[in-house]
Amino acid sequence: MFPFLAFAQPNCNAYLYKGDTLQYKACNLIEKADQYYQFQREFQEVFDEAIKIAPNFAYAYREKSTAYLKSGDFLTWKKLIDKAVDLDYVQNLPYRAWCRYQFFKDYKGAINDIEKLDSLANYDIGYSINGDYHLNIVKGICYSVLNQKQKAIKIFETQLNLKEYSAGLYDYYQLGVTYFEIKDYKNALKSFEKQTQRNDIAENAYYKSKIYKLLKKDADYKKNKEIALKLYGENKKLYDPYTYHTNTVYYSTIVSE
Amino acid sequence: MFRFFKYLFLFPLFVFCQEKATTSLYPDFVGDIEFNKELDDQNFELCFDKHIYQYFNDSTGFQYEGEKLAVENEFSKEYKSNYIANETGLVRVNFVINCKGQTDRFRLIGMDENYNEKEFDKSITEQLLRITKSLKGWKGKKLKDNKIDYYQYLIFKIENGQLKEILP
Repeated sequence: MFPFLAFAQPNCNAYLYKGDTLQYKACNLIEKADQYYQFQREFQEVFDEAIKIAPNFAYAYREKSTAYLKSGDFLTWKKLIDKAVDLDYVQNLPYRAWCRYQFFKDYKGAINDIEKLDSLANYDIGYSINGDYHLNIVKGICYSVLNQKQKAIKIFETQLNLKEYSAGLYDYYQLGVTYFEIKDYKNALKSFEKQTQRNDIAENAYYKSKIYKLLKKDADYKKNKEIALKLYGENKKLYDPYTYHTNTVYYSTIVSE
Repeated sequence: MFRFFKYLFLFPLFVFCQEKATTSLYPDFVGDIEFNKELDDQNFELCFDKHIYQYFNDSTGFQYEGEKLAVENEFSKEYKSNYIANETGLVRVNFVINCKGQTDRFRLIGMDENYNEKEFDKSITEQLLRITKSLKGWKGKKLKDNKIDYYQYLIFKIENGQLKEILP
C-alpha cells in the first residue's frame, strides 16, 4: 500500500471493521461536507461536528487545515495539522512535510518531518500531494537551498538511481541547478540534458544557455536562450497554482541573460 | 460530487455568502477580511460585493506586472534590512485586490520559527506594510469573463530582521 495517497475521503467501513464506531459515525457525517467549498463556514462546522463525535478523527483536522494553509494562515494551519499528525502520522506526516516546504519554505522543518518519516516507515515514503516530487527529492531541494550542496546531490542521485524509481517532472532540473551552483558545469549539463529529454521547461533551457555562455559557446548559448523564451511563451515552465517552485526563473531574467 | 468540491480551487466559486442568523466561530469563508473603518480606505471599491475570491481560484495564481521578481525587486530596493537579534520567523500580509488591481484591507500576522504567534519589531512590520501598500502592479482577475476581487497574501521570511525570502 502507498500511505501517501491521502486526501481521498477515508473508507468509513474500515473504522467499523476495526471496531471504532465513533470514527465510523464521524466519517459518515462528513459526507455532508461534500456540498461545501473547503473555505466555507459550513465546511468547517461539519468537521467540528465530526470531531465532537470522535476527537481522534485525524482526517477532520487535516481537512479543516487546508483552507488556512492555502490562505497563508500558518498559525491556524500548524495547530490543526499537528493534531492530525499526532493522531495519524502515516497519513499526515508526509503531507505536513510537503506543505512546510511548499507554502512556508520551512526547509529545516520539512527535512525534520521527512527524516522522521523515514525513520518510522518501512515503506517508500512517497510523493508530494500534488505529485510533483518524491519526498526524498524535496529533502534534496531543502538541503540545496540551505547550502548543503554535496548532501543534496547525494540525495538526488541516490533517489534517481533507484531501480524502482522513475524520475519526476522536475527532478533532473533541480539536480542540474545544484550542480550549477557549485560550478560543476559538466554534470549540470548532463542533468539538464536528461531533463530536456523527459520534460523540457523554460528554466532548464535558460540554465543551459547560462552554462554555454560561461563556456563561451556562443551558438549554443543563443540557441538555448531562444528555446527558453519559446518554452516560456508556450507556458512550458515550472508551475503551481499556489506557490512558486524553488529555482523558478522569470521571463525578464531569461531576456536579460 | 465530493471530488468536484475538492478541486474547486481551480474553478469559479458559485456559492456566495448567505445571511446566517446563528453565531459561528467562523467567517463566511476562511480568511475573509471585513471592512474596518479604523483601518481601511472608505473609497476602496469592490467590483463584486457578494464574494471575494482567493488568488488561486482562477488557476493563474500570483499575477503581478513583471511577475514576482518585480515585487522582490521592490522590496530589495525599499526594505532596510537591519540586524535585529531574534527577530526571526514569518510575517504574512493579507489584503484585497479589486478588479482594477487596486489594493486595501491589509492585515498582518507573524510567527516565530516554531509557528508560535509573534509580534515583530515595528521597524520590520511597518516597512513590510508600507512597501506592500505601495505595490502598484497587481493585475485584475476574471472568472468566466466576470471581473472579480480577490485575496492575495505576501509572506516574508525574516531572519534576525533581515528579509530573506518572499512567498508565495
